[in-house]
Amino acid sequence: MHPKDCVRVRPAWLDLKSVLIFGIVAFLLLFTVFPMLYLVFRTFVGDAGFTWEAFARIYTYDLNWTALSNTLVTALLAMVFGVLIAFPLAWLVGRTNLYGRRFFRTLFLMTYMVPPYVGAMAWLRLLNPRVGTLNLWLMDVLGLAEAPFNIYSISGLVWVLTCFYYPYAFITISRAMENMDPSLEEAARISGASPFKTLMTVTLPIMLPSIVAAALLVFISAASCYGIPSIIGAPGQIDTVTTRIIDYVYVGSAEGLSDATSLAVSLMFLANLVLWASTFLCGKKQYFTVSGKSTRPNMVDLGRWRLPLTLLVVLFAVVVIVLPFVTVALTSITQNLGKPLGLDNFTGRFWTILVTRKGILDTATNSLIAASVAATAGMVIACVMAWLLTRTRAKGRRIPDFLITLGSSTPSVVIALGLIMTMSGRFGINIYNTLTIMIIAYMVKYQLMGMRTVVSAMTQIHPSLEEAAQISGAVWTRCFWDVTLPLIAPSVVAGWFLIFMPSFYELTMSTLLYSVNTKTIGYELYTYQTYHSQQTASAIATAILLLVIVVNYLLFRLTKGRFSL
Amino acid sequence: MSSISLAHVSKWYGQVCVVEDFNCVFQHQEFVTLLGPSGCGKTTLLRMIAGFEKPSSGSISIGERIVSGPKSFVAPEERGIGMVFQSYAVWPHMNVFENVSYPLKIRRVEAAARAKRVEEILEVMGLADFGQRMPNELSGGQQQRVALGRALASSSQVLLLDEPLSNLDAKLRESMRFEIKEMQKRFGLTVIYVTHDQTEAMAMSDRVIVLKDGRIQQVDSPSTLYRAPANVFVAGFVGKISCLPAQAVAGKIVFSGGQSLAYTGEKRGSVLLAIRPENIRLRLDQGILPGVLTHAQYLGDITDVRVAVPVSDSETTHVRLTAPGRSVDQIAPGTSVWLDFDDYLIFDREEEASITI
Repeated sequence: MHPKDCVRVRPAWLDLKSVLIFGIVAFLLLFTVFPMLYLVFRTFVGDAGFTWEAFARIYTYDLNWTALSNTLVTALLAMVFGVLIAFPLAWLVGRTNLYGRRFFRTLFLMTYMVPPYVGAMAWLRLLNPRVGTLNLWLMDVLGLAEAPFNIYSISGLVWVLTCFYYPYAFITISRAMENMDPSLEEAARISGASPFKTLMTVTLPIMLPSIVAAALLVFISAASCYGIPSIIGAPGQIDTVTTRIIDYVYVGSAEGLSDATSLAVSLMFLANLVLWASTFLCGKKQYFTVSGKSTRPNMVDLGRWRLPLTLLVVLFAVVVIVLPFVTVALTSITQNLGKPLGLDNFTGRFWTILVTRKGILDTATNSLIAASVAATAGMVIACVMAWLLTRTRAKGRRIPDFLITLGSSTPSVVIALGLIMTMSGRFGINIYNTLTIMIIAYMVKYQLMGMRTVVSAMTQIHPSLEEAAQISGAVWTRCFWDVTLPLIAPSVVAGWFLIFMPSFYELTMSTLLYSVNTKTIGYELYTYQTYHSQQTASAIATAILLLVIVVNYLLFRLTKGRFSL
Repeated sequence: MSSISLAHVSKWYGQVCVVEDFNCVFQHQEFVTLLGPSGCGKTTLLRMIAGFEKPSSGSISIGERIVSGPKSFVAPEERGIGMVFQSYAVWPHMNVFENVSYPLKIRRVEAAARAKRVEEILEVMGLADFGQRMPNELSGGQQQRVALGRALASSSQVLLLDEPLSNLDAKLRESMRFEIKEMQKRFGLTVIYVTHDQTEAMAMSDRVIVLKDGRIQQVDSPSTLYRAPANVFVAGFVGKISCLPAQAVAGKIVFSGGQSLAYTGEKRGSVLLAIRPENIRLRLDQGILPGVLTHAQYLGDITDVRVAVPVSDSETTHVRLTAPGRSVDQIAPGTSVWLDFDDYLIFDREEEASITI
C-alpha cells in the first residue's frame, strides 16, 4: 500500500486545536462576555426598547456623582504618585549600584501580592485622627496640638491606594527596563550625554509605552478597588463607585439591583476605555530590542549619592512596607487597642481564635478549595493557550487571549454583579450560592496573570527543542508532555500561585457572591474588621501575610530567583 | 593627535583575570584590530578604552590626556570618541536623522550646521533618503550604517567598533568591510576594531593584535602575522595549519617515520612543524611524507583534502591541504599518496605546550 493511502482526511472541526479553542471560547463567552453584555442590556433596554432612563436616574443622585468623582480623583492621583514613585525606584534598583538592590527589588515585588485591605487596616491604626499611633507619635515629637493626618479623607484614601498599587507600576516598568538593550544607553554616553541626559533622552522615551501602560494599570486597579475605600471610606463617609455598587446590591430590591447595574456599566466602560487606550498606545510601539550580546546591563555609578539614595529607599521601605505590616502584626496581639502595647496589654487570645473558631476555619477551607480549583483549572487553560499562541497558527487563537485580557481588566464588582444577574436561574443556569460561581469569578479575574507567565516561558523555549522531539517520533501531545512541560514547569508553578494567592484572600467578588455556606476568608476578615474585632481581623491578615512570604520564598527557591510573585 | 596608549592595563572580575598587563600604543590614524576567540578579553579592552569599564590597574590615555589612571577617570561622554555597537544600538524612538544628529545636539552644535553635517554623513553612508525613517523600517545593513553614521557625526578622531559586522549576512559583511576602511581613510580616523573573524582583521587592519586569555600573543601587520606567526595558536587562528611532531638536528628535520628534510634554522630538539594547506602539494609518485588520502571535498575553485599521516606507531595526524580545481577527482579515498612541501613553520614543542590548549 502506498504510504499516502494511510493518511485519513479529517474534517477541520474535528481538529484538536479547533476543538480546544472552541471549548475555551465557549467558556469565556458564557462567563465573561455574556454577563457583561447582559449588564449593558439591563441598563439600556427597557420595556420599550433603548432608553437612557436607568442610566440617567442613578446620576440624578448627588451621592453617585460624588462617588464617581471620588473614584476618578483618587485613582488619578494614585496613578500619578504611583508612577512617580515606581519609575525612579525601578531605575535605582535595576540600573544603579544602589546598596542592596536585589533585596529591595524582591521586597517591592513582594508587596504586589499583599491584599490591599491589609494596608487599609494598618493605616487606619496609624493615622486615625484621634488614636492613630503615628499621629500620636508625631504630635509628641513635634509638639503639635492636633493630629497632623486624618486617614478618613480623600488624601488618606489616595495615600493608601498609592502605597498598595505602586508595585503594579514597579513590576511593569522594571521588567521593561531589564529587557532594554543596555548598549542603547551606552551609545548615548559615548555620544557625549551625561548619565542624567541619557536617562532623559534615551531611557525615559524608550520606556514611555511601558510607563503609560503601568500608569493605566494603576489607575484602573485603584478605580476598581473595593477593599481600601470600604474600610477607610465608610467611616469617613467617602463613597466610591465600587462601594456604591455593593451598597445598592445589599439593598436587595429590584431597583437597587438596577441602580447597581447602571453604576457597574459606567465602571466597566471606564475600564474598557483604559484597556483600549493602553493597547492602542503600547501596541504600536514595541520598542523592546532583542540584543545579540550585552546581557550584563551597565550599572550607573551613583558616586557620592549612593549612600543618601540608599537611605532614602530604606526610609521609603520602612514607611510603606515595614510600618504597616508591623502595625497589623502588633494589633493582632494587643488586648486593648486604646492603650499602647506592653506586657500588661499583650494577648495571644486572637491567635487562639484564629485556629479554633469554626467560622474562621470553615471560611479558610472554602477559600482554599475555591482558590485551588480556580488556579488548577486556570493553569490547564493557560498551558493550552500558551501552546496555541506560541506554537500554532490555528485560526482564532487570538480570540481567547483577547477575552481573557478583557475579563481580567474588568473590575471585580462588575464581574461578580454580572454573574449574579445571569447565573442565578434566569437563563437556565443556577450556580448562585455555590462555590462554583466563586471559582468562575476568580478564574475570569485572575486567569490572565497565570497565562502570561506561561506564555512568556514558552516564548523563551526555542521551537527547535520540540521539533527535535517530533522528528524523533513523538506526536505533539507527547512533545508537550516530554519536552515543553518539564521546561516550563517552574513557570506553571509560579502561574498557579499567581492565580491562587489573590483568589485565596479575595474580598470584592466574594462580598457579592457569598452565601451562608460559602463565605470566604477575605469576607470573614472584612466582617471582623468592620463589625467585631480589629484584632481578630489583624490576626487573619498577619496569617495571610505570612502565607504570602512563605509562598514567595518557595517560588524564589523553586525557580532560582526568576519568579517571585 | 589622536593616538591611544594603554600602559600595564589589567582587568579582574573578582578572582578571574580577563586582561593581563596589556601594553600597546595605537598610532594616530592607524587601523588596529583586536582579534581573538570569545572570552579573550578583546571586548573588555574596547569597553575600557570607551570608559564603560574601569581597569583594575594601569592607565589609558587618548592623545595627551589620561582618561583612566590610578587617580583619574574620565566618563565615556567626556572622552570624545565614536563607537559602533554589536547590536547597533540605534535608538528605536528616534528616526535616522535624529539618531545621527544626537552627538551634535549634545555638543550644542547650532541647528543649521547640525542639519548640514547630518545630511553630509547620510549622503556618505548612502542613507540620503532615509532621514525620516524609523529604525524598525530599516534592514539590518541600514541600521548598521546609521550606527556608523552616528559614530562619525561628531567628527571625533577615534572610532571604536565592537564586532560591528557579526549580525550581518556574508555578502553585506564583505561590502561593509570596504566601506569601513573607506571611511577610515576619508576621515583620517584612529580605529580600534574588535572581531573574532580573521578575514575582517586581515582585510582592514594596519596592525592586528592577537589575544588569548587576556594576553597579547602577537602584534604585527596582517601579512607578517600570516607569514611569521609567533606561535601555533596565532598560526592556527590567522589562517589554517596542520601540525606534525618532529626532531630538529643540525641541518635537518627528522620525522618519526625516519623521513627528513633540509633545515637551516636555529631550533633544536622536539619541534612542531606547521604547514598551511595551500603550501602542500599532493603527489602519487614521491614526496617528503607518505600518507593515505581520507577525504576530498570539491568546493569549486579548490578541493579540500585530508591526508592521514602516521606520526608514531599507533597515531596518525590528519593533514589538510587544498588542491586546485578537480585535480584530485581521480584519487579514491584510501589511496596511498605523498605530501610535498617546502614552505613551513617550525615551533618549539615545549614552548608551545605552555601556550596551546
